[in-house]
Amino acid sequence: MQQLWLRVALALYSLGLLHSILTVVGRKQRVFRIALGAISLGAVFHLVALVEDGLATQHFPVTTLPEAASLAAFLLACWFLLVYWRYRFHSISVFVFPLVFVLTLTAAVDRGPYAELPLLRTAWLYIHVSLIILGYTALFLTFVAGVMYLILERELKSKKPRAFYHRLPPLETIDDLAYKSLTIGFPFITLGIVSGAFWASSVWGPSWPLDPKIALSFTTWLIYLSLVFARWSVGWRGRKAAYFAIAGFVAILVTWGTNSGLHSFVSP
Amino acid sequence: MNFCLVGLSHKTAPVEVREQLAFPEEQLADALRAVVGLPGVSEAFIVSTCNRVEILARAETDDGNIGPALARFLAESRRRELAEIERYLYEYRQRDAIRHLFRVASSLDSMVIGESQILGQVKTAYAVARACGALGGALEEVLTRSFSVAKQIRTETGIASSAVSVSYAAVELARRIFGSLDGRRILVVGAGKMSELAAKHLVGSGAAGIFVTNRTPERAAELAAALQGRAVPFEQLLEYAAQCDIIITSTAAPSFLLRKADVQRLLAERRNRPVFLIDIAVPRNIDPEANKLDNVFLYDIDDLQQVVNANLKERLREAQRGEQIAEQEVEKLLRRLKTLDVVPTIIDLRTRLEEIRAQELTRMSSQLSDLTPQQQEAIEALTRGMINKILHSPVSHLKTLAQQPDGLKLVETVRRIFNLKQ
Repeated sequence: MQQLWLRVALALYSLGLLHSILTVVGRKQRVFRIALGAISLGAVFHLVALVEDGLATQHFPVTTLPEAASLAAFLLACWFLLVYWRYRFHSISVFVFPLVFVLTLTAAVDRGPYAELPLLRTAWLYIHVSLIILGYTALFLTFVAGVMYLILERELKSKKPRAFYHRLPPLETIDDLAYKSLTIGFPFITLGIVSGAFWASSVWGPSWPLDPKIALSFTTWLIYLSLVFARWSVGWRGRKAAYFAIAGFVAILVTWGTNSGLHSFVSP
Repeated sequence: MNFCLVGLSHKTAPVEVREQLAFPEEQLADALRAVVGLPGVSEAFIVSTCNRVEILARAETDDGNIGPALARFLAESRRRELAEIERYLYEYRQRDAIRHLFRVASSLDSMVIGESQILGQVKTAYAVARACGALGGALEEVLTRSFSVAKQIRTETGIASSAVSVSYAAVELARRIFGSLDGRRILVVGAGKMSELAAKHLVGSGAAGIFVTNRTPERAAELAAALQGRAVPFEQLLEYAAQCDIIITSTAAPSFLLRKADVQRLLAERRNRPVFLIDIAVPRNIDPEANKLDNVFLYDIDDLQQVVNANLKERLREAQRGEQIAEQEVEKLLRRLKTLDVVPTIIDLRTRLEEIRAQELTRMSSQLSDLTPQQQEAIEALTRGMINKILHSPVSHLKTLAQQPDGLKLVETVRRIFNLKQ
């Protein structure tokens, strides 16, 4: 692991984390400019770290959990910058920055024993993991948008503007972000799951659907499928869609956390 | 430097008193000249609005007589007995006077905190005072600083960020829901004053199309013309409602025009795109139950009033932060004014030249060591004499010119060219 650049990125991301904490605790938004700069610069260093890491190990760095976490953190930072550039809203940073920091931190400190399983080292691995991470990070934004939507909708319905009222973007903008991130994330996880299925059946034979992680990811996929379908067919949006986006992400977390069975990364 | 402010505002005096003491615009310049003519007063500023009349003056010495003199002037120039108006007046001196001015300019002292007019009024009053030669020294510095403090407080706190009238609250809510109002359609049902105002604000914020309907088609046509919208038949209310993102109702109908089921149908036709219903009619025109539907945001007049009240409270909270900023800025300004005082500047100037003299002598000390004590003393005296000669003219000019208009700038220039620390 090329730790130096990753640590530089981590230090820069910590400014973002600081901003999130300050925003939640106090009401000062002035640090945002610094945090934005730090995150952008952090992402650049992070990219350097990823490239260097890839060159050193001679493969795309997604084979171990810390590597995957690192890539996820980098993509999240990129998604954030994209969203900020497109919608100009800050509030999402409160959710994104801490996660970027924690994921990078995991990548920077975790050097646990990871077995090189030649069995798994096929092109499928890189495609599958990359697609899944792209999808998950995009769907994280859907989740954040869902949470923000519920908060703002509640305040608008209760007719008592409170603390968050002035700090969240307009309801339609949040909904737009939820929808766009869903339309980006859903194809990625679909392809990721399909590629995973091909790979699994080629490596493990017909027993592959019994793996708990694979079963869970199908459940996750079904949740998102119904969300996409309902939106297209009857214009489902708003609160129900937000609940589904949150449920979907909870399913993702459970899936991500389940690393038993065939998906066990740690050598026995 | 001695500042003194005497005045009255909506907080101390009823409108009957304020209107008697206000200075008409055309008399302002004469009044300013009269204040500057008072013994001991060197600069003056008067702000006179419907909510306040205040005289701010800078006196040469702080003998405590300026306040009463200003009060007497105010009474005499408005042809009142001092005893009669005295209980409405307040007097602030020194830092309190500066702080008060900052608070006034930043609208922390206004009836509606955060309103934007007062800064403009203070600026106009400043222009008048400057034009008639009543400013030019430290007071001018204080006034120009008050503008930047007002701007800072406005941008750094939320005192002016939320709507405090019902019609603006409606626009703000529409923005919270839809973001940009570009291309949004509005339906106005009933032709009341309030709905017209709200619709006007919405159109002003970018809303695209506006439909107006009323039980009497003539009234609808009238209002539609005023809003540059389109009058539509009252019977087709629901049809048009489905096309609109914002619906404002204000008819005198005794029962609900839009029942929950109607709104539900409307939503289905809109494919669940959110709709903002503003019901300012009493009795209400829209079933309040409709608010329970997803993607429907229904506000009646009390709800809007509640939002306004919450915003006012928010402004009060933000005003606390504004007060802190004002306090800090007073501190900063006083420190700056102190450095721009003549006496410390002269002392600094002397010290600076004396430093240079000492440095040069030390630098040459090896070559001067051969001299006899008398010769060394002569060099001492020679260099000292040069400094005194050089300083004589600048110091005497500083003393006289600093009292005149733009004297502060002179002091500042001297400080800068001799590189005296701030």
